[in-house]
Amino acid sequence: MRPSRRAFLGGISAAAGALALPALGNAAPLARVKELGVLRVGLYQKNRPWSWEEDGQVMGIDADIARACADALGVKTDLALFPADEEVSDDLRNVVWRGGLLGFRRCDVMMHVPFDRQFAAQETEVVILAPYYRESFTAACANDAATDCEGVPTQFRGKRLAAEIDSIPDFYLVGSFGGILRPDVGHYTTGYEAVSALGEGKADIAVATRAQVESAMAGNKANGGADIVPRQGPLPAMLSPGWDIGIAVREDSRSLGFRLEDLIHGMAESGQLKDIFARHGVEWRNALALQPNT
Amino acid sequence: MKRRFTHIMAALAAAGSALAVPAMAEGPTTADIMNDANTPGDVISYGMGPWQQRFSTLDKLNSTNVSKLVPAFAASLGGEKQRGQESQPIVYDGTIYVTGSYSRVFAFDAKTGEKKWEYNARLPDGIMPCCDVVNRGAAIHGDKIIFATLDARLIALNRENGKVIWNKKIGDYQAGYSATAAPIIVKDMVITGNSGGEFGIVGAVEARNVDTGELVWHRPTIEGHMGTLNGQDNGITGKTNATWEGDLWKTGGGATWLGGTYDPGTNLVYFGTGNPAPWNSHLRPGDNLYTSSTLAIDADTGKIKWHYQTTPHDGWDFDGVNEFIPFDAKMGGKNMKLGAKADRNGFFYVLDRTNGKLMGAHKFVMQTTWADSIDLKTGRPNFTEGGRPGAPSGAEKGEVVFSSPSFLGGKNWMPMAYSQDTELFYIPSNDWGMDIWNEPIAYKKGAAYLGAGFTIKPIAEDHIGALRAMDPKTGKIVWEYKNPAPLWGGVLATRGNLVFTGTPEGYLKAFDAKTGQELWKFQTGSGVVGSPVTWEQDGEQYVAVMSGWGGAVPLWGGEVAKTFKEISQGGMLWVFKLNN
Repeated sequence: MRPSRRAFLGGISAAAGALALPALGNAAPLARVKELGVLRVGLYQKNRPWSWEEDGQVMGIDADIARACADALGVKTDLALFPADEEVSDDLRNVVWRGGLLGFRRCDVMMHVPFDRQFAAQETEVVILAPYYRESFTAACANDAATDCEGVPTQFRGKRLAAEIDSIPDFYLVGSFGGILRPDVGHYTTGYEAVSALGEGKADIAVATRAQVESAMAGNKANGGADIVPRQGPLPAMLSPGWDIGIAVREDSRSLGFRLEDLIHGMAESGQLKDIFARHGVEWRNALALQPNT
Repeated sequence: MKRRFTHIMAALAAAGSALAVPAMAEGPTTADIMNDANTPGDVISYGMGPWQQRFSTLDKLNSTNVSKLVPAFAASLGGEKQRGQESQPIVYDGTIYVTGSYSRVFAFDAKTGEKKWEYNARLPDGIMPCCDVVNRGAAIHGDKIIFATLDARLIALNRENGKVIWNKKIGDYQAGYSATAAPIIVKDMVITGNSGGEFGIVGAVEARNVDTGELVWHRPTIEGHMGTLNGQDNGITGKTNATWEGDLWKTGGGATWLGGTYDPGTNLVYFGTGNPAPWNSHLRPGDNLYTSSTLAIDADTGKIKWHYQTTPHDGWDFDGVNEFIPFDAKMGGKNMKLGAKADRNGFFYVLDRTNGKLMGAHKFVMQTTWADSIDLKTGRPNFTEGGRPGAPSGAEKGEVVFSSPSFLGGKNWMPMAYSQDTELFYIPSNDWGMDIWNEPIAYKKGAAYLGAGFTIKPIAEDHIGALRAMDPKTGKIVWEYKNPAPLWGGVLATRGNLVFTGTPEGYLKAFDAKTGQELWKFQTGSGVVGSPVTWEQDGEQYVAVMSGWGGAVPLWGGEVAKTFKEISQGGMLWVFKLNN
């Protein structure tokens, strides 16, 4: 599995393949992290269940994976929450390879970067690696007799619909099916809040990522909210089939990237990753790029 | 004898200053500011008067002697913050005040260029402004210099020493709000717009007490939102859901990021509003009021008196923030109170400024693909079929639509000027288009997303930038100056038959206002994207401009980037006068 993945990576990132690496002297970034004793990790702010701040603490699946990596390297973490820019491409520039215009110091690694061959080919300043989860969009519903969560979306007409603003779930509900659902869509700042609205009795049906649905359901249960049920079947005409999530390091930091990739995939094999996800109510799903049949 | 003489001189000097200082020590009043266009000894407002015509009555410097214009001094903004100087200087009481990029203010001695003080706003770590780190200028009133910061605060400094008098939050930077425009002073209030790149913001115009920074009125630009006056509800903007579906109006956009102008005669402030959100226009059918519009707001009550929408249902990211400049002229044999706006969408609009009625609309760029004309009866554009970018399907790369002007606009933020002598508007414009398509491989916040891909490209062989002299009554372009790189700086017109503007190539240039003939240029060492001013001091006419390449253009690139790849960054105030 691993050799073929490396071959894939060699294909999607610019120059050196795995074989040429030691000769390039690229050990420096990894050695530097160890010497300084700190791994600076870029995390999206307000991105529950992946990364968010609560009572001054950085929480989330991505934060926990970053901490586990730092532990294994024997260094501390410097978790930098950053605001999302217009697209991930901008985030990579701000967080990984250039830094912010106003002094935001670039990070050694950024979590939660889409692991996608075409996308990576456009992003020549960074290396994207260590796919650690398969994400996709789904729906969840308030558990009442009047709402058929498995129905075709055109039947959602007249229900209170919820989605994160300016996201694919938003475009899906507002733009699909001839726009008939448009007047019914309520917009939320995050997918997690959209799903939580079901438990608070503010919405009937929410569309969000699977991780947002599962974590918000767990959070809702803990808070004693109204019952939420996940949709079992796929959403027809959904605009995205799903995507893998990985990490990104700067193009000149492959040594660090490969070390982190080894650590993260070690966590996948040992079950540690599964445990981290479970702590946030999310079932870990292996990245498609790492599944045997692909 | 000698000693005694010195004493006498000192006494005279003291007496002189004792006479002169009290008048100045109070600082400019609202009345002084309203009269700025008629007092060439100072520049105490953004745009050189409430109408912001950027016209000076000075003529000591003129088209016959401008070739002898030489630097008097230059002053650096120092440090590492050498980019994006879009500011317009303020000149008062022997001091030149300029704002710098990264939310800074500088005071320089107007005779020597020596720095008097510098103020650096402390910006939070997590801030990432969408469109560079610029600031466009300050306001002056009484003892205060007032400017807006990248983290959406309004700060009043003591103009003598740069110490903070008050500091008010005008938006939540963590929610995506920012501020870069110059505030305006109206009736002892400081009036500002807002800006933000992030999805979910709603545009607004706000008036505050100039002495305390306390809010007087607040007027959202999107229909359905409640305005306030003295802390009380003051009616909603427009009519909820009239031109928006569902709850999209709650996050409709329409930021007022470029500030506004004021007409004392009608007591109206005129603010342009930004584009609607989300970017994909197919998700928000309707006109989406009042995005991409000009709003006329009563300065006392914060109520919208009239609106004119330049791009209904904006699907091109045109925005409608451009300055609306009042002017008086005879039209159809009648003396009219008018106003003009050169919009991002490539059309130059003349409106009756008392009621918003369209009087004329003319192209000021080479090409407009989205609409071929404006219907003078309805005031609406005649849209071109197939000119609107398509709805994203998520499956494949969508059809490529060529659209002109590009989303950076036929004219971007840089203010035009109006000469009361030639009765022409001088428009800093750009001829460029863009290929735009739906991008299936897009990601936002780490998740799959439906984005738009675009490439900005020139549409002419020999230029992108063009300074154009437009007759507002006929729409005729009387002359044009073509520039290889895109123009990004403001314009100044003077009674000396001169028009000044800067270029990214680093020049401040002077043109004959009647013919467009280039009469003078000076290389400032970095791109000029600021707005020049002129004033009289000790019997001589001075011209000042900021130099320092930056702004939104270098952040984009593509084919256009070839025209400015050799331009270095900078941060200098340049001051010129005649070499007598």
